Amino acid sequence: MIKLENVSKIYGKNIKALQDISLKFAEGELIILKGVSGSGKSTILSLIAGLSKPTFGEVIVDGKKISKLPDHFAASYRRDNIGIVFQKYNLIPELSVQENVLLPLFPLNLPREDMRQKAKKVLEMFSIEHKSSLMVRNLSGGEQQRVAISRANINDPKIILADEPTANLDEKLSREFIEILRELKSKNRTIVVATHDPLFFELDFVDKIVNIEHGKLL
Amino acid sequence: MNKINFYLLEYAYSYIVRHKNKNIFIVTVFTLLVALLSTLFFITSSLQYELKERISNQSDIVIQNYKAGMPAAIDTALLDKLLEIEGITAGKLEVKGKYYFSQKKSTFYLLGVDAFEMQDDPLIVKLLDQYDLSDSEMLVSKNVKDVMNQAYYKEYFNFIKPDGSLQKVTIKAAFDVGNRVELKNLIIMSKDTLRKIFGYSANKGSDIALSVANKNELDFISSKIRLLLPNAKVTSKDDLLLEYDRLFDYDSGVFLSLFVIALFTFFIIIYDKANGLSSEEKREIGILKAIGWCVEDVLHAKFYEASLLSFFAFTLGIAIAFVYVFVFKAPLLGAIFTHENMLDIQNFQLNVHIELSYILLIFLLSVPVYIAATLIPSWRVATLDADEVMR
Amino acid sequence: MSLFKLFFLFFVFVSTLFAYPNYSDSLKSKKIYPMGKKIFQKKCADINVNNYKSYDALVDAIKNTKGCRKLKSSYQEALALYLWDVQREAKVVEKKYPSLAVSHKEKCPICGMFLYKYPRWVSMIEYKEGKKVYFDGMKDLFKYYFKHKKDIKGIYTRAYYTQETIDAKDAYYVIGSDVYGPMGHELIGFKDKKGAKQFLFDHRGKTVVRFDDVTAAMVHKLDE
Repeated sequence: MIKLENVSKIYGKNIKALQDISLKFAEGELIILKGVSGSGKSTILSLIAGLSKPTFGEVIVDGKKISKLPDHFAASYRRDNIGIVFQKYNLIPELSVQENVLLPLFPLNLPREDMRQKAKKVLEMFSIEHKSSLMVRNLSGGEQQRVAISRANINDPKIILADEPTANLDEKLSREFIEILRELKSKNRTIVVATHDPLFFELDFVDKIVNIEHGKLL
Repeated sequence: MNKINFYLLEYAYSYIVRHKNKNIFIVTVFTLLVALLSTLFFITSSLQYELKERISNQSDIVIQNYKAGMPAAIDTALLDKLLEIEGITAGKLEVKGKYYFSQKKSTFYLLGVDAFEMQDDPLIVKLLDQYDLSDSEMLVSKNVKDVMNQAYYKEYFNFIKPDGSLQKVTIKAAFDVGNRVELKNLIIMSKDTLRKIFGYSANKGSDIALSVANKNELDFISSKIRLLLPNAKVTSKDDLLLEYDRLFDYDSGVFLSLFVIALFTFFIIIYDKANGLSSEEKREIGILKAIGWCVEDVLHAKFYEASLLSFFAFTLGIAIAFVYVFVFKAPLLGAIFTHENMLDIQNFQLNVHIELSYILLIFLLSVPVYIAATLIPSWRVATLDADEVMR
Repeated sequence: MSLFKLFFLFFVFVSTLFAYPNYSDSLKSKKIYPMGKKIFQKKCADINVNNYKSYDALVDAIKNTKGCRKLKSSYQEALALYLWDVQREAKVVEKKYPSLAVSHKEKCPICGMFLYKYPRWVSMIEYKEGKKVYFDGMKDLFKYYFKHKKDIKGIYTRAYYTQETIDAKDAYYVIGSDVYGPMGHELIGFKDKKGAKQFLFDHRGKTVVRFDDVTAAMVHKLDE
């Protein structure tokens, strides 16, 4: 499903974020990218999402060479196939839950009823539909987390990427998050989580753990 | 851009509201700039229009005799002489002038009329058709009637002649000047009576008014007359128009300095915007890209944002200027235009007379500039790799 | 008393009897007749000038009319002159010519310019079957005229100084002056010779011609 072939990412002249990395992930797998901050795991995620392009090598997702895609196609690729959960959620506090969840779809200018249905469906999936019209600012941390995950799933993406999702959460919420991941995996999503939270390393439904240090695989 | 994307519009609106303080400042400066500039244009175009209207009611050429550098009486024989000139199609000897009524500190404008002479001014024509003035009667404007009333002159008025004796003239009727505010203090009476009041002898008057049918010849004939009468002041309608155009010299100081300050601030804002976004703003663009917006979508939203702000500020600015100039008649600032030119702003109606081309000009100077200043840095940021967001 | 003195006195006496005032034509047409006309219309429109055999009789009648007897003597004189010269002697004939007003769409057939922009120069040929052709000056009119001379009902132009509509065939034209029409050098029309001559002098014109004097060669020369 996801392939990185001899990928290197160099910033400026000297900053080697990734050096000659080759990875293969199959569909439906849950992969943990393990490493400390600055190790390059976030870079791998952004390459898979098509948010950055490799300096050398190829990124192939579902058969497509996404590194070659022009901006417009890269954006629609991302919207249709990738759902991202950020470490800081990156929700817009002054907008409602429903609006935040629909944010990826705003440019599509779909009819209001369709949008509402999509929002409802995904909010129900993550048990936050009852707060649909509240402002995100007024939600608890855990509720915001669920909104973030809902947004990532609004378009039924095949791939979910999560960058340090539990870094700001207590154990209870972290475990809740992991349960959500389990559920997503059961729906055959390919999930890549970049984290150094030990909770992830003892899970029974993890398919692969990739160790990264200084941009190189260990 | 087919339909308006209301979701993006909503997003743009919420974006504006989220950065309230900064945007309020921008809107204020923008509005101020537009308001100042429009006020300037409104006042001058309105004044110019009104002055041109007034001039159109005047005679083509007016000739005054000068003695010792001051205006003096002019003889009717001169009129007869001038009528010999080809191109001059009509003329009359006018008797008119100001009369200062010291009791009420008012100045009346006295006009002598001859019922059978050529008359250009439509108001006077109408009045003379309506009333038959004898030598002992006069017509006064409503304002003059009020002033005279206050001095207990209800049915007649005693004018003081140059020799100190009195000239009693009966008030036949009072008339409304309508929108001809410059005739607010007008009194109309027969020429002979007025001659007595001003001390003009029988064949003399204050000036000679001439009509020239072919405006092409106006300048040529004016020059001819100037050669013929070296002691006289010859003013043609064209001269008046030129002079009034000159009076509205846009370089007049105070207004320009106000304007420059506003412009300066405006460009600082533009410069600030065009030079880049804050890291917060960059972050937000990164997030939008991450969740699936392409560069075009980001710019679309930014376009709405800039348009909302600038259109709002523009409309507000124009509305403020409009109300200030046409409803409140431009207190304080309006005087800048008229005091220098020795006109009294109170005497002007400032009717709504706007040239749309000016408004379009102000629009084009401000709105697209602002939109561009917003879009350019956003475009620059949006086309970069948005992997900063992942951190 | 010598015979000569007698004759002289008699002459003076007679001339004061017939007190027909001696004003110049310009003064009369520009000031006196318009005033007299107004007085006539406003005050004593019931006077029929044809009832009086002499100017003096008319003056006497005016002094006795109800409406006009109280007028100033200068007004009475103006009235008398108007009635006598204009109404009776028809010294100044007020003719009615067709209007030279054009619509916004009217174009000159020779040069294609829109005529409404140049109202002072509009000239017209009216043909017998009713067709009216308008031009932006006599030059273009002549160009057309030389090719379409048949069945003309009337040709009209504006007198330069007064802007009145006049019969072009009766008019006097000045060529080669420094006043340009919309098509450059023009034939400028005048109601009378005096006006044409004055204009020639003022604006350095070359000659004064009448309508029938104008040739195609003259017209073409203007375009050089």
